[in-house]
Amino acid sequence: MSRSLKKGPYVDEKLYRKVETQTQQGTHKPIKTWRRACTIVPEFVGHTFQVHNGRIFNDVFVTEDMVGHKLGEFSPTRMFRGHTNKKEGLRAGK
Amino acid sequence: MPRIAGTDIPDRKMIRYSLRYVFGIGPKTADDILAATGIDPTIKAQDLNDQQMSEIVNYIDSNLQVEGSLRRGVAENINRLREIRSYRGDRHRRGLPVRGQRTKCNARTRKGRRKTVAGKKGVK
Repeated sequence: MSRSLKKGPYVDEKLYRKVETQTQQGTHKPIKTWRRACTIVPEFVGHTFQVHNGRIFNDVFVTEDMVGHKLGEFSPTRMFRGHTNKKEGLRAGK
Repeated sequence: MPRIAGTDIPDRKMIRYSLRYVFGIGPKTADDILAATGIDPTIKAQDLNDQQMSEIVNYIDSNLQVEGSLRRGVAENINRLREIRSYRGDRHRRGLPVRGQRTKCNARTRKGRRKTVAGKKGVK
């Protein structure tokens, strides 16, 4: 279900302020963040975020198209390396 | 046979039902179209006169996205998700369910026919 319009998009205050100050200073340094649930607003465009995925920070350069999505959508939390083949499966103790 | 929206040729059914053969027109939209143009929904498609036909076509052209342009629109939306490297785009690329459904079992619509793996539990 989508979020109530009354509340507006969820944008993390602190993160937003950080972006604002950077914009004022004209810098676009990568911003480290754990705020995966934060919605990307138009002000974020052109900035780079390092979005935590539980293990590492993934670089996310925000483009126009990403507005309205959440930061976490661009920092995958699972990595699928493919299924084991038979030999490897044996090695893994199967 | 009447033609609506490009190549679609609904037949000798009631216009209310034959309109649904157009991609992008379902039960609701079909009734909406007929209500807006004031055409009797129970009339057969082949019995429509030219004026009624053109009214329907005009209404569709000016209000709805159907057939090719709708298909293109959907494809564009999916492509956008792919290009921005979002999670949903990734799921489309891999042919897995996009909206968080489980994939341990089921999800066959997206994954296609079962691919049996030899040597897995139960398979001899």
